[in-house]
Amino acid sequence: MNQWIIASEFAEVAVSLDLDANGPRLRLEDLRSGHVRHLDALELESIAWAPDERLRELIDPSAGRWSDRADDADGA
Amino acid sequence: MTVQYSELIQPERVHGSLYTDQDIFAEELQRIWYRTWVCVGHVSEVARPGDYVRKKVASQDVIMTRSKDGEVSLLLNRCAHRGNLVCEDQRGNSSTFRCPYHGWTYRNTGEMLGYPYNQGYGGKGKLSLGLGRVPRVDTYQGFVFASFAADGPSLKEHLGAAAGELDRLARLSPEGEIELTAGWLQHRAKANWKLLVENETDGYHPQFVHGSVFSVTGSHIGTLYSDKSTAVTRDLGGGHSENDLRPEFRKMEPMNWFGTSEARVPDYVAKMRALHGEQAEEILIEGAPHVMVFPNLFVAEISVFMINPVAVDETVQNVTAVQLKGAPEMNRRLLSQCIGSVGPAGMLLADDSEMYERNQRGVTARVPEWLDIRRGAHRERVDENGFRIGAANDETGMRGFWSHYRSLMEGEAQ
Ligand code: FES
Ligand SMILES: [Fe+2]
Repeated sequence: MNQWIIASEFAEVAVSLDLDANGPRLRLEDLRSGHVRHLDALELESIAWAPDERLRELIDPSAGRWSDRADDADGA
Repeated sequence: MTVQYSELIQPERVHGSLYTDQDIFAEELQRIWYRTWVCVGHVSEVARPGDYVRKKVASQDVIMTRSKDGEVSLLLNRCAHRGNLVCEDQRGNSSTFRCPYHGWTYRNTGEMLGYPYNQGYGGKGKLSLGLGRVPRVDTYQGFVFASFAADGPSLKEHLGAAAGELDRLARLSPEGEIELTAGWLQHRAKANWKLLVENETDGYHPQFVHGSVFSVTGSHIGTLYSDKSTAVTRDLGGGHSENDLRPEFRKMEPMNWFGTSEARVPDYVAKMRALHGEQAEEILIEGAPHVMVFPNLFVAEISVFMINPVAVDETVQNVTAVQLKGAPEMNRRLLSQCIGSVGPAGMLLADDSEMYERNQRGVTARVPEWLDIRRGAHRERVDENGFRIGAANDETGMRGFWSHYRSLMEGEAQ
């Protein structure tokens, strides 16, 4: 598995191509928590095109991981 | 004109028009294929969230998906906007599907997610048009079944005694699960689907049609269906039938059902013995079933077939190798045996396909009009569980098929 690490002082994420499913997916692993998420092509395209404000919404700490609602915890 | 099925289907003969008549084929789609439980695939084909594969139920193009929360859905491959095909690839991974025509987008559970330029519909979230869903979906031993009828017998009721045969297949895996992950071959035959179904548990033809294969390979399969065989053909009810070869296998050593010996698959045998103790002997001796599950799932010991009608005289037979979860040593052999018998250059299916197609051409002749299914009727008996059984090469399975077929074709339409 070819993987890249994208890191800053704030976060470290390993990025790799996962070929285990019926089609290719991008595998993202938050190296600080071990949390993994897969993204398929249409999801990636949508992220590429998402307006900045939507991305900012995702980065808001209370949007996923530190949300008050426990069921939001996986960011789904 | 309404067809009088009681005239065309008699206890010991069936009419040739059942294989050639367009109207009968159209009626079969409504009364069998879009009503009863039809096997479409296996959960192992969509192992990961976002996985999808395209399948067919007769002419219906179906997408089997697995959602994020693990649920398997069967969606119809038809956009809710103007009916375009939504998926083109045979398999892939995507949590959402976007129609290529105008971009309507759906979750892989079928729910609508959005559409482009939403002002034309008065804004976002104004439409709740989703992909069509197969009304009833259920699984048994991982096999996924579809029924286009909103009500009717449950899958368990439909499978009846055939369920036990699928259990017998699954218990061969040290983890109790089979997987259909070896990929599918599609064999197209210019023949009516019923010729294929009837052939699957016809123990009369192997010695004849497959004689050359058996003699070249030194296979013992032929003798399992000879006149001296103690194997039986069983009508399992509900149109299901099997060639029960266990009486012959019980005279042999463990793993002989698979044409091999314990010494060649030592890890597998050791694993099964550790897991099942004394009961392992029975499992390793009796092996896998040879069962035709009405109307389209055929398990031939090492191979799984899903039969799909295309036209009155055309059928696609999808074939794959059984894979036993947790048994890599067996899986390599299962795959190579499957390829040898029913692969692209496989010897058994090539023989059978030739017969299906010749049969289809033959039955178009106007006389003698009938196909005979009486073989062994006089020596049929009832076993200790109340099932009708005949000799290994009797037509007991076909008679069971036809009586169930007749009940579906004659009964109240749904
Ligand atoms: S037909 Fe699918 S978006 Fe128009
Ligand atoms: Fe155009």
